[in-house]
Amino acid sequence: MHELGIVIQVVETIEKIFKEQNLTKVDKLVLEIGEASGVVPHYIEDVYPIAIEQSFLKDMKLEMIIIPAEGVCECGEIYNLMKYNGICPKCSSKKFSVTSGREFNIKEIVAY
Amino acid sequence: MEKYKVIEIKKNVLANNDELAKKVREDVLSKNVFLLNLMSSPGSGKTTTLVRTIECLKKDFKIGIIEADIDSDVDALTISKSNVKVIQLHTGGMCHVDANMTKFGLEELGVEGLDLVVLENIGNLVCPASFDTGATKNVMILSVPEGDDKPLKYPKMFKIVDVLLINKIDAIDYFDFDLEAVQKRAKEINPDILVLPISAKKGDGFDPWISWLKNQLKGNR
Repeated sequence: MHELGIVIQVVETIEKIFKEQNLTKVDKLVLEIGEASGVVPHYIEDVYPIAIEQSFLKDMKLEMIIIPAEGVCECGEIYNLMKYNGICPKCSSKKFSVTSGREFNIKEIVAY
Repeated sequence: MEKYKVIEIKKNVLANNDELAKKVREDVLSKNVFLLNLMSSPGSGKTTTLVRTIECLKKDFKIGIIEADIDSDVDALTISKSNVKVIQLHTGGMCHVDANMTKFGLEELGVEGLDLVVLENIGNLVCPASFDTGATKNVMILSVPEGDDKPLKYPKMFKIVDVLLINKIDAIDYFDFDLEAVQKRAKEINPDILVLPISAKKGDGFDPWISWLKNQLKGNR
């Protein structure tokens, strides 16, 4: 359960941007979360209210975009790593390199 | 209606950790310090392994230990009896040590003149696998009572480590633990992994482990 620490890092980053850009209100935060990032969206939702409660961003809404975990096999096949459990559906090899799904990004904020 | 704007940030939050880990790695290398990140489940024998490892190395090398736990200083007290430099890090509920905490731990410990620093990570096979600490090498311990199915359950941990120590090998007769199956499962996930069976309590198998460490330390000097 490391989501709280991560969300606090996110909130600190937004606070910094808030000051740098002289914003008056942040309406919404958009996060991109990869399926293979080790971050569980459900827990992010759980701890989010706690993380923003003490900050001046306490009314900021949260939107999450989930990025599928994809990898490319040594045979060249690109497939969903979660769906196929890391085993290539074409050649059954377990060797792959991750092409997407490890992201955990602050995509954007909607602000006034 | 108030006028609003969308600010594109595109900031990778976890990338902060990767960048910092890279700096930590470069920093310890420039000081000729070998930083070892030791990971395992709770109760696998990390501290016992560490105590015996220190005994084998302390004649030839200067060693420092960073004990990370959610709470208590039980492990730091045990280690301090070995007469090496030790500090206790409290993560305050966090389930892993990240690069920032490692950096802080190294500063508190003071690494000047040390050859080897061991970071004893939180007992957990999940989260520590996702956060690069900046260690030169990663080692994990799997103990016999935990079972031989662990590489199947926690593949990420087995994927990122350089060495897998199989501890409590002296107790193998009492458990359904298939050593060959573990080796096969671990190598399927990580073909380069070095698997070494040991008994931290009795000292079995310590020669290959200590010689691996010594080679690493010599290469680092």
